[in-house]
Amino acid sequence: MSARADMRVPARIFADDEILDEIADDLSLEQLQNVATLPGVVGAAIAMPDIHQGYGFPVGGVAATELPDGVVSPGGVGYDINCGVRLLALPLLESELGDRREALVHEISRSVPAGAGKRGVLHLRGTSLDDVLRDGPRALPNVRAEDIERTESEGRLEGADPSAVSERAHVRGRDQLGTMGSGNHFVEVQAVEEVLDAGAADAYGLREGQVTMLIHSGSRGLGHQVCTDYVRLMDGRLASYRIHLPDRQLACAPASSPEGRQYLGAMAAAANFAWANRQAIADGVRRAIAVVLGQDVAERTHQVYDVAHNVAKVEEHGGMRVCVHRKGATRAFPAGSEEIPEAYRDVGQPVFIPGSMGTASFVLAGEPGSMERSFGTTCHGAGRRLSRTAARKRIHGNELRRELEARGIVVRCPSPKGLAEEAPFAYKDVDRVVRVVEQAGLARRVARLVPLGVVKG
Amino acid sequence: MYRFVEHTAELEVELEAESAEGVLEEALRAFGELTGPARGEPVEEPIDLEATDLPALLAAWLDQLVFLADTEGLVPESADISVSGTRATGVVRGRRGKPRPLVKAVTLHRLRFGRRDGAWRGRVVLDV
Repeated sequence: MSARADMRVPARIFADDEILDEIADDLSLEQLQNVATLPGVVGAAIAMPDIHQGYGFPVGGVAATELPDGVVSPGGVGYDINCGVRLLALPLLESELGDRREALVHEISRSVPAGAGKRGVLHLRGTSLDDVLRDGPRALPNVRAEDIERTESEGRLEGADPSAVSERAHVRGRDQLGTMGSGNHFVEVQAVEEVLDAGAADAYGLREGQVTMLIHSGSRGLGHQVCTDYVRLMDGRLASYRIHLPDRQLACAPASSPEGRQYLGAMAAAANFAWANRQAIADGVRRAIAVVLGQDVAERTHQVYDVAHNVAKVEEHGGMRVCVHRKGATRAFPAGSEEIPEAYRDVGQPVFIPGSMGTASFVLAGEPGSMERSFGTTCHGAGRRLSRTAARKRIHGNELRRELEARGIVVRCPSPKGLAEEAPFAYKDVDRVVRVVEQAGLARRVARLVPLGVVKG
Repeated sequence: MYRFVEHTAELEVELEAESAEGVLEEALRAFGELTGPARGEPVEEPIDLEATDLPALLAAWLDQLVFLADTEGLVPESADISVSGTRATGVVRGRRGKPRPLVKAVTLHRLRFGRRDGAWRGRVVLDV
């Protein structure tokens, strides 16, 4: 793609011809060029193959800014701070689950509140919201040490500052811990259809036929409010930092400035809230497993890992301290990195790529190419292809539910409209997206998971 | 008048009215269509918003509606509001219910609000 005079670094996209065709007519590439204008950006503005048009940053975008004075941009993280995915592995095979599948999906829909705004299951019993903002899942009662260890950054970003989180964000977060949220958030019951890397699958505790649970959620209204607050704040201070932007939504401030430091503290707090949220959801899933499959199965359900795909992190790359913005992109550190749990250090960091509802999801492992080419990053999902209305025009929610159930996938979703909007054809082909990142050496495929049932928000 | 223009993953709203206040009221109606109707008790909330410029005021207005829907279950139906410079004051009226949580946030992407070609016009992109 041709360079623009205001770009400080090149724009680089990992894609194949079909993916490039799909985004040719929208603003994805222009948005990527806009990211390349940010003060302090280094290397390249990067897009993953699940790129689609967003606002400000494209979704599937990665940008690293040099510290201390490169900028941090709240829009480069997105509204759903630390939206991410957590994978649980059950100690049983699909064949052993048998006809209890529907009961299990139903019980999960009862134990994990789905829709936004419903009361959280925990009500922060004995724990203050600020404890959660500071410490993430560690602040919750009875959390297993193994769950913490098998979470990106051990579920706690340093520098979290609850006082930088506004009263409004506190109000929005208070009752939402342990709720899934709406839109594309879900809990999916899956089976490992195929193991593609036996060594890594073994390290992750996965084998063919095994039942898994994939949890996709984020920081709920609290994260949305933090992003809103700081986009507004930084938008109002651009002139004082002499920053000129092609799009107001890219509002940013030097990471070392008071606004930059405050945002990083608030964002870390929201990220910790999101990890605690997925922890509380996982607790709900384990309770459902205990009811339907027995306490013993619930206790032997282990967490494979939990990854963030909307976050900014301070990392070292190429001898430089940088702030890596990942918006719809996942950290994918290779084998040997001290940032990943010891049990996985020989095979690389696990990454989970949810496909669209009713297709497949992938477990990947980070590869050395990610450190060379994408600031230790890979893709995050299939990537949206059709708008919500376009999806609804093609299928009614009830018809989609029948189609999925005819294929043996149990569906629980409060709204037929919401279901239709998440139809599989509304997303890119996940196999294609994953093939691109594998060919680029960013991550390799470890296992392909297929859905048995889904509870949607 | 309001009109939705849908993008891949977000929703753009185009607004037109005879006054600045009218544009904010149209934005409220568009938002109300997205949250769906409510039949709960009537509610009235005071509004006092100040922004750095007019477009930011439109975003702040919708931010407020998102916040009230998320925390109070308020589905807005009408507003009595006046705009002076970049400040908006007045009340928003609606009913309590279970607003569809479609709108996550209000972005500054492609944001516009001002008088152009003989009418007041606004444009805002919502994260849905």
